[in-house]
Amino acid sequence: MIDVDGELRVFEKQERERLGLDSTFVPWVEDMANKTFSKKERTKITILVAGLTMAHDMFVQGALRGIGYHVQALDCPDTASLRVGKEFGNRGQCNPTYFTVGNLVKYLCALRDERGMSSSEIVEKYVFLTAGACGPCRFGMYVTEYRKALRDSGFDGFRVILFQQTGGLSQALGEDSGLEMNPTFFWALVKAIIAGDVLNALGYRIRPYEVNAGDTDRAIGRCREIVYGALEARTNIVWALRRCKGELGRVRVNRIQAKPKVSIIGEFWAMTTEGDGNYQLQRFLEGEGAEVDVQLVTAWLLYMLWEARHDTQQRVHLRVADHAKSSLGAMGPFGVTKKLLGVQAADTAVRMIFQTFAQACGLSGYPLPNMDEIAQVSHQYYDNNVRGGEGHMEVGKLIMNVLHSKAHMTVSVKPFGCMPSAGVSDGVQSALSEKLPGAIFCPVETSGDGRVNFYSRIQMYLFKAKQAASSELEEACRTHGVTVAQVRDVLASDSGRSNALYKADHRYAGTAADVVADVAPLLTRSRAQRWIEHVRGLAVRSRRAVEVSPQSVVERVRSVSAGVPMIVERARVDALIIRDTWRARKRTSPEAIDSAAQ
Amino acid sequence: MAHRQLAIGMDVGSTTVKATVVDADTKEILWSDYQRHHTKQPEYVLSMLEQIQASLGEDCSRIFLTGSGAGPLCAPTGGKFVQEVNAVSLAVEHLHPDVGSVIELGGQDAKIIVFREESREGGGKTATASMNDKCASGTGATIDKCLVKVGAPPDMVTSLHFDDSKLHHVAAKCGVFAETDIVNLIKSGIPANEVLCSLADAIVLQNLSVLTRGSTLKHRVLLLGGPNTYLPFLQECWRLRIPQTWNERGYQYPTHVPIEQLIFVPENSQYYAAFGAVLYGLHEPEPIGRLAPLDSLHEYIEHGRKARLAETAGPALTSSVEELADFKQQYAIPKFEPVQFAPGEVVRGVIGLDGGSTSSKAVLVDYDTGRLLAKAYQLSKGNPIQDAKELLLKIRDAVEGVRDDRALDPSRENPRLEVMGFGATGYAADVLEKCVHSDVNIVETVAHMISAVHYFGSVDVVCDIGGQDIKVLFIKNGDIANFRLSNSCSAGNGTLLQATAEQFGVAITDFSDAAFRAELAPKFSYGCAVFLDTDRVNFQKEGYSKEEMLAGLAQVLPKNVWQYVVQIPRLASLGRVFVLQGGTQYNLAAVKAQVDYIRSRVPDAEVYVHPHTGEAGAIGAAMETLRVVKRRGRSTFIGIEPAIHLEYGTTNDASTVCHFCENHCKRTFIDTKAPDGSTSRYIAGFSCEKGTVESKEAMVAIVEERKQIARAYPNLVDYEARRAFMHVYDTKPMPEEGTPTNDFEIRRGLLGQRRVAITRPMRRSSSEAWAARRRVRVGIPRVLNMYSTAPFFRAYFEALGIPKTNVVFSDETTEELWVKGGKYGSIDPCFPSKVAQAHVHNLLFEHHSEKRTLQYVFFPILTHVRSWIEDTVDNTSCPIVAGSPNVIKAAFTKEVDFFQQRGIEYLSPALSFVEPSLLARKMFETFESRLHITEDENDFACREAWKALDAFDEDLQVKGQAILETVEAEDRVAIVLLGRPYHSDPGLNHGIPDEFQLLGYPILSIRSIPRSRTFLDQYYKRDVEAGVMRSPLALGSMWPENFSANSAQKVWAAGFASRHPNVVVLDLSSFKCGHDAPTYGLVDSIIGASKTPYAALHDIDANKPGGSIKIRVKTYAHALKLHEERLQDARKKRGELVRAVDRKRLELLELREQQRQAQADRNPIIDAEIAELRARVRSYEGPSDGLGEHNDDRGKLIQLRRKSADGPPILEVSRHAAE
Repeated sequence: MIDVDGELRVFEKQERERLGLDSTFVPWVEDMANKTFSKKERTKITILVAGLTMAHDMFVQGALRGIGYHVQALDCPDTASLRVGKEFGNRGQCNPTYFTVGNLVKYLCALRDERGMSSSEIVEKYVFLTAGACGPCRFGMYVTEYRKALRDSGFDGFRVILFQQTGGLSQALGEDSGLEMNPTFFWALVKAIIAGDVLNALGYRIRPYEVNAGDTDRAIGRCREIVYGALEARTNIVWALRRCKGELGRVRVNRIQAKPKVSIIGEFWAMTTEGDGNYQLQRFLEGEGAEVDVQLVTAWLLYMLWEARHDTQQRVHLRVADHAKSSLGAMGPFGVTKKLLGVQAADTAVRMIFQTFAQACGLSGYPLPNMDEIAQVSHQYYDNNVRGGEGHMEVGKLIMNVLHSKAHMTVSVKPFGCMPSAGVSDGVQSALSEKLPGAIFCPVETSGDGRVNFYSRIQMYLFKAKQAASSELEEACRTHGVTVAQVRDVLASDSGRSNALYKADHRYAGTAADVVADVAPLLTRSRAQRWIEHVRGLAVRSRRAVEVSPQSVVERVRSVSAGVPMIVERARVDALIIRDTWRARKRTSPEAIDSAAQ
Repeated sequence: MAHRQLAIGMDVGSTTVKATVVDADTKEILWSDYQRHHTKQPEYVLSMLEQIQASLGEDCSRIFLTGSGAGPLCAPTGGKFVQEVNAVSLAVEHLHPDVGSVIELGGQDAKIIVFREESREGGGKTATASMNDKCASGTGATIDKCLVKVGAPPDMVTSLHFDDSKLHHVAAKCGVFAETDIVNLIKSGIPANEVLCSLADAIVLQNLSVLTRGSTLKHRVLLLGGPNTYLPFLQECWRLRIPQTWNERGYQYPTHVPIEQLIFVPENSQYYAAFGAVLYGLHEPEPIGRLAPLDSLHEYIEHGRKARLAETAGPALTSSVEELADFKQQYAIPKFEPVQFAPGEVVRGVIGLDGGSTSSKAVLVDYDTGRLLAKAYQLSKGNPIQDAKELLLKIRDAVEGVRDDRALDPSRENPRLEVMGFGATGYAADVLEKCVHSDVNIVETVAHMISAVHYFGSVDVVCDIGGQDIKVLFIKNGDIANFRLSNSCSAGNGTLLQATAEQFGVAITDFSDAAFRAELAPKFSYGCAVFLDTDRVNFQKEGYSKEEMLAGLAQVLPKNVWQYVVQIPRLASLGRVFVLQGGTQYNLAAVKAQVDYIRSRVPDAEVYVHPHTGEAGAIGAAMETLRVVKRRGRSTFIGIEPAIHLEYGTTNDASTVCHFCENHCKRTFIDTKAPDGSTSRYIAGFSCEKGTVESKEAMVAIVEERKQIARAYPNLVDYEARRAFMHVYDTKPMPEEGTPTNDFEIRRGLLGQRRVAITRPMRRSSSEAWAARRRVRVGIPRVLNMYSTAPFFRAYFEALGIPKTNVVFSDETTEELWVKGGKYGSIDPCFPSKVAQAHVHNLLFEHHSEKRTLQYVFFPILTHVRSWIEDTVDNTSCPIVAGSPNVIKAAFTKEVDFFQQRGIEYLSPALSFVEPSLLARKMFETFESRLHITEDENDFACREAWKALDAFDEDLQVKGQAILETVEAEDRVAIVLLGRPYHSDPGLNHGIPDEFQLLGYPILSIRSIPRSRTFLDQYYKRDVEAGVMRSPLALGSMWPENFSANSAQKVWAAGFASRHPNVVVLDLSSFKCGHDAPTYGLVDSIIGASKTPYAALHDIDANKPGGSIKIRVKTYAHALKLHEERLQDARKKRGELVRAVDRKRLELLELREQQRQAQADRNPIIDAEIAELRARVRSYEGPSDGLGEHNDDRGKLIQLRRKSADGPPILEVSRHAAE
């Protein structure tokens, strides 16, 4: 007997094909996202890292190798990376995207085309590890761009692994993940970043004043090897940095040179990179006779901690809790305190680690930025809640540089297409510079192919900064009643102050003027006079302290006693919360549920 | 006599070398000279140094160089480089101590220096300088190019006076735009003096608005640089516009001093930079700048230059003579041999004509065989009718011989041409359709596609590079599946190659031979023509030869095409068969670069050059004409002789000016009269549809017609844009004092805190406060995310008692609004954020007056906006959008506080629309003391505001659903506009959605897509059940980094369009949009998977690119028509399938019945089914049941209705939409 339904199914299928009604739509799905590698694969996977300064990338490589991964740092992105980025990236991207995305694709293409590896072999054996964010600028979408470029360049399936900057010390990638984002992993990264910062800061501090060209770079090169070795072997990093101090201390310097101090601020990547991404801006400025003050990656860590603290404090008094990303709605009754304490602890820890590393390496007198002050001075111009890139920091740092005479000139580097920097800060800074008399402020855009104009623009402002540095040195000499030659003579015979690691107290923008202010008393006062002044100063300070102490003690006692009822009431609330929480937990415990069921 | 110390200052610019010799002690200029260097900078510098040494001896011991070409010459001369602005500043300070600002227009640079007196003691002056980035226009090079285009004689240019009474639009933002506008003005018949004055005005305003970075120029103003020195009309323009900005900004300047003294051009200003370089250099200690022996410069000229170039240059076009020979053999385009006709032969053919912007072409194609018989070429003369007449004459003469010849030999019987049809494409097609009744008027893209497919059959990609445009068409199944067009900004087109070759004195026909001779090639940056030109100047300075430059230029062409215009890196994904066409393919160097580029990425590619590469468009038009005429059986063409003898006249005077709107377009009327006496008028040069009519009655008719179309095909984008700012929700009255109110109280411990629900009496502000609020007026700019949040703010203020007329939004974005208020910003971000300054200006200058004061300008920072996507990682605004209120505040308080001046307070609290409680708190903090409100009132107003926002949103969705259901029922398509909320602004979207609406396509906004689960399940259920996505409103499976709310919604809408068969996509994105950029690839992938028709305009900016929009609209309309046909076909096929299955079932059942009968086993149920099936199948044989039948009533008006479950569609939405 004929199978009507079966025959009909076959017929309908044929008819559908004949009529072209057969096509089924398969929606596009992103299949390259959130991929990692398994524990089993760990031994054959090489993790590629990049994105910070050369020292940082090298140390991250060493630190992660130290905890058992195969790691390879990519070279600093160059113009060729930009070209590759533009070819495989979306149109209209910002320059940091093109450089960083292009740099990865360029490296993989070199593996394929020069080392003869097949694309599938590369996809199998390499992964790229990078920091991620949740916006609001394009930095948070870099990984979208990485995937597109990798797919379009023939590396479909290549794994890009993200660790969230604000994700805390433990981030899960899945139980079987070969990459464990645990405290060990993040401690390795923190060590690498802070050590890199300390060495970079010292390099920029010493190099402009070196007597023999190239001494600093050679010493820094040796230091990098020492630190890298310690990170890779997981030996004591502080001890390694102490060894670096010896290396750097041997560089001969002459600090009595009126060099303009130029603070580089701007978009994070553009001001940090040392390659074509900012046309080797740091080296160019040094070549033009300036001392460069760079921003440290540690400051970025502090900014993120500030964000967490600020956002929490802003919401803590809301009568009804919200439930968005920065809201506190999902937190328990003690969640806010826990978060604030955690952030404070992390801030303190970062500062302590930095200063420990700095002291070990000989980087003295280097205070990390006060994030609250930066936020406060910038808020009326650049709202602290506007985020992305450096947020209000670009504006805040400019104000701080002027307020605290931190530099003669501020260069703000804005990569082409950067939204927070070129699209917002620049407009605010332009108006602000009108309100900061005497500020030499040079906003400059890096488009990747306008090197001559870029340099030209900086030279334009640097001319004024040089004049400012010279007149500042003259002014310092006049104020302190000494000459440059006298100061030079003193330094020639004072091994401590002529040491490469010596740092005079900050009084002026320029290093030479600070040295003059520090050395002048040696010339204009006898040892006895200096002692007397020292003792007098101490006495004045002590007297003032004694004068105010009783009053302050009384005030403190008064305020505490006035606050006692409030403290008692608050403690009572805490007790009630604990009690209720305990009761609620008891009610929902498995035993309670069982007994209720019975 | 003491030994003199002399220093040389040398200014090496982009076109000239200027030198001065200065006495170091007295600063006196002892010697000076000025030479054009013809790109031989080192040679001219050397020659000048030799002259200096000859006349001043060995006293010249130091040299300082400045200028854009000075860099490479420092080492060989021993000179020190001095930055140009520093040099000019020092010279000006020295020579004109009382000058407050300098405006210098150089060849490639424009600079503005503003001197500021230092407040500190002895501070002197500080110069704040700004230079154009490489993108900006307004430089000497732009002016030079435009002068060439205008073709004005030098004596006219140097004697012309500025007249601001007849100015026309010129986009000076970019040199390419400016040139395009200038060309269009000339073509429209605008006199040269008006064009030049318009250019000067545009350049002056551009520099005043952008280059000053929002600063006010201080008096006296010094004008420097070639254009400022030699063009009196430019000087006069500065003298008009600068005082206007002074007056606008309240800047005090001496009004009694003649303007010629306040804004002046000094004598010998060409030497300022060179002189200033010396002044600068003398600050440098010896031996910096010690003049080296001239031998080293000799050595540099002889050898150094080349060696340096080899390090950075790229490879040549060919690696060997053999390779070149092979290539030429394969790709040289065979010369076209016109067909010879026998005496007396009747040649039956159709004519295709391609009226391009720079040249026009026509072809004659055999009516029977489709063979190309003759072709003609004509450089465009600006009048499409004249061009067409001459081309037709050439075609006729090609067949019949020149009339004069025939007159000489009357006995000779010539072949005779019988034109069977005529079709046109290109910009001339519209006018020809009207006056010669063409059979075909097709858009260029389609014409090119038809032509390529005609010659090469199964083609994958057609790349047409013409004089102005690059068109790349992706072909699937013999039709355009997608296309990319260069926007007005991109370079690499034929004109650029030609212009560059001519600058080197190379004829375009010799381009390739010259380029093939090069042994290396500089690496140009691809992208914009201005960038290329900057590179060209730089490379010239570096010493590349013209051959090398041409080779480099040829090599950049494919990058422009594939990386800049096409933006699809994996070429192989497009297919294997590439056809290159367009006039540029005659240039073999360009072809070689293209072929190499394609082959390096698609190794098995077949790359062909169209055999009639220049006439591909015309051939396409001819082929389409052939098809249409044969199908129709007749031609509408008036005939070749009447066309050749068509009489026409053009009028362009006061009578043709359109007065139907503020634009006052200067139109051109082209009146034609055919030999049969019929007349027609073609109107050109208008910017909107109102310009197409001549009388008020006709205008009224047009408006009425538009209204009808708008009713029939609603445009929800436009609706949304208007409704967002209207009063759409009546807020409830504020509860009385003491009304029980539910609230929470925070009980705080030392470590923990908890919220406790309480009920307490409502607290209200005093009646005086309520009365005071009745008088408050709040101004809000109609910009950015206000387009999605304004109903919230309006309702908030209304709930607090502010009258609805006192919530004042700035006017809609228009060109006038932008021109009036766009000069305050110091940065150049995307237009949507830049235009905010014009809106705030509008509020300050138009909506605020002494009688009607605004107390507040409220421009909140919206850090986060609402989104319906369920799995986003955040819902942020773009940082530029969020930060704009800060930038605007900076712009309007930079030198003068415009708010304070008017007693207005500028309020820009940071608000997050994803945290209602925090938002309410921030609103309260902002308005508590200003509006004297209680927190309870604030909270109530916020709750009402949310309801208003919801009502706004729901209304859109209801209308969206009605449209979708109707188009689905009628096999039509609706276009969803993928854009950010502010792309609803007609001033930002340039009316592009309206263009499609007029073609009969309803327009949906993203927010009008219904989001109810029941509706979406129709399209998503399968994927949700299969686990592809979590819910219809989830996006994680497509884009995990979806923190940008508006981007995420855009990508989601693309996903919806990919699933809905009746929804197609129009993607708009603003130039420099940072949050859209990462979505380009995503949207492409999503849309690509479903083959949904898709059109994108990704770089829209302040200027409306009329031509570019037109070609895209026409091409896309072609694709939409095909898509609708496919939808209708699919319905027919589905009907056919149902019928076939029924028949088959009947057949099978009958068979089984027979088998059963054989076994005597009858089944009554099957018998009944067979009877029913028989009846149904019989009905198929009769008249159509309507299944799959659809009458194409495009052009008729349809009413969009909502489908109801149990009856015909009932809800008419079009009326609301049009209101």
